[in-house]
Amino acid sequence: MAKICDSIGMVYSGMGPDFRVLVNSARKAAQKYIQTYMEDPPVRILVKELAGIMQEFTQSGGVRPFGVSLLLAGVDERGPNLYQVDPSGSYFPWKATAIGKNMINSKTFLEKRFNGDMELEDAVHTAILTLKEGIEGQMTEESIDIGIINTISAAESGEAKPIFKRLTKTEIKDYLSNIV
Amino acid sequence: MSIMQYNGSAVVAMTGKNCVAIAADKRLGQRALTVDMGFDKVFPMTNRLYVGLAGLATDVKTLHDRFRMHVNLYKHREERTIAPKTFAHMVSHMLYERRFGPYFVEPVIAGLDDNQQPFICNMDLIGCPNFPNDFVVCGTADENLFGMCESLWEPDLGPEELFETISQALLNAVDRDAMSGWGAIVHILTPDGVITRELKGRMD
Amino acid sequence: MDAQFAIAGKDFAISVADKKVTRSIVTMKHDKDKTYNLTPHTFISVAGEPGDTDNFSEYIQANIRLYSIRNSQDLTPSETANFIRGELANALRSRRPYQVNTLVTGYDKTTGKASLYWIDYLSAMAKVPYAAHGYCSYFVYSTMDREYSPDISLEKGLDIVRKCMASLKQRFLVDFSDYVIKVTDKQGIREIPMSEL
Repeated sequence: MAKICDSIGMVYSGMGPDFRVLVNSARKAAQKYIQTYMEDPPVRILVKELAGIMQEFTQSGGVRPFGVSLLLAGVDERGPNLYQVDPSGSYFPWKATAIGKNMINSKTFLEKRFNGDMELEDAVHTAILTLKEGIEGQMTEESIDIGIINTISAAESGEAKPIFKRLTKTEIKDYLSNIV
Repeated sequence: MSIMQYNGSAVVAMTGKNCVAIAADKRLGQRALTVDMGFDKVFPMTNRLYVGLAGLATDVKTLHDRFRMHVNLYKHREERTIAPKTFAHMVSHMLYERRFGPYFVEPVIAGLDDNQQPFICNMDLIGCPNFPNDFVVCGTADENLFGMCESLWEPDLGPEELFETISQALLNAVDRDAMSGWGAIVHILTPDGVITRELKGRMD
Repeated sequence: MDAQFAIAGKDFAISVADKKVTRSIVTMKHDKDKTYNLTPHTFISVAGEPGDTDNFSEYIQANIRLYSIRNSQDLTPSETANFIRGELANALRSRRPYQVNTLVTGYDKTTGKASLYWIDYLSAMAKVPYAAHGYCSYFVYSTMDREYSPDISLEKGLDIVRKCMASLKQRFLVDFSDYVIKVTDKQGIREIPMSEL
């Protein structure tokens, strides 16, 4: 899981090294946008940029496509956004989705459990439950990552700005302890 | 004489209560010789955002073209119109890109934001922005304009009062500047739309 | 030391350019045509650095004509002027800019209106009723200011040209004596010989 800019975070499923290349590109694109307009890029713009790069790698000579699917989450002036980007360069907006090994079951699970007016705490809880479905053995704070984008957390800095944050081990542990 | 004074110009913008005004003279000269009395220096970027460009006439035209292109590209890419603040930072960025071979233009930006609050901004020729909340001036008559605005402007003016204030400020400023004047144009941006009026100045 | 000026009426435009090519204190040539026809109804007259004027004008002429051939349609005067400005503005920020002052004179067949564009070597452009470049502007502008009105006839336009020439003859250091006078209107571009002015 990686932070791209203040308001956007990204996770992947697939090949780790390929992900790190894309994180680099995404961060550069975000900084370029911020340098030009002095504001964070809307999620859709960043997704388009990344999807464009991934598409190029399906068509250029001497390179192979990226071996990752991405989920980008962020908050902009349109509200909360979640996007999935595939190696082909195609991308989809979601309310909730999953990628990776257990995605079919996870998505079925989310279809049952997700609703649009969930609070952040419920969303984290649902996400953990979804993940738990597909994990063999014990799920600990060492084996999962959780990222949230919270608007309230920036309130002390004056302007209310969405901030992406990776939960700490202790915070994850607290969430896990609430699950039976 | 500096290249900034080659063609002559005067641009001013003022805030009011839920409205903002931007005005400029219409002269185009070559030093002391007047060539055109109908040269526009203020351009609409969106219907809530105007930019005024004072300085070298060729760069006024070139920058207007480039701004228009970038605003249109932004609109297509982002499926929204550019906000005044965002536009100001874009302009600043475009000018600083040419830090060591600048466009000889000082822009003035005036607009209404999403909450119909007035926004004004001016920059030097390499894009150092200012965001005051009363008025901004630039051009060859900038010192005269500062004096006029300082004494005429007051907070929370309505559209018509603001029109009167900015018109008097501009006309009286350019009357004491040989390089600008020869008519003027005023745009008042209000939540209901833009009021544009041409002013007759002393044509001598 | 070139002299060039032009006047646009409602449906005609006149352009005048001297024929001298000078270098320092020497006149190298007395019969140089400094006008270039771009379309049947639009032409430019140029002044400035001798090599640059020819080079730039021929480049513009070739490109405008190429456009006409490719698209079976001529550029309008305003399109032509904006194209020239664009090329000059690009050159301005290149390694070696063109030092060319241009007057674009044209008649738009579709609207039936004549127009005149003043472009200096920095690519500042203005659509004007009458214009001049160089030292001669200090002499002819006052005459044109006094005599011009938007609804003048061609005959009156030529009368202004005569008066401008007289003023140059009487007061300007350089004696131009010979000029290329071109008119564009509904019928297209034609040259008026000095003897018939």
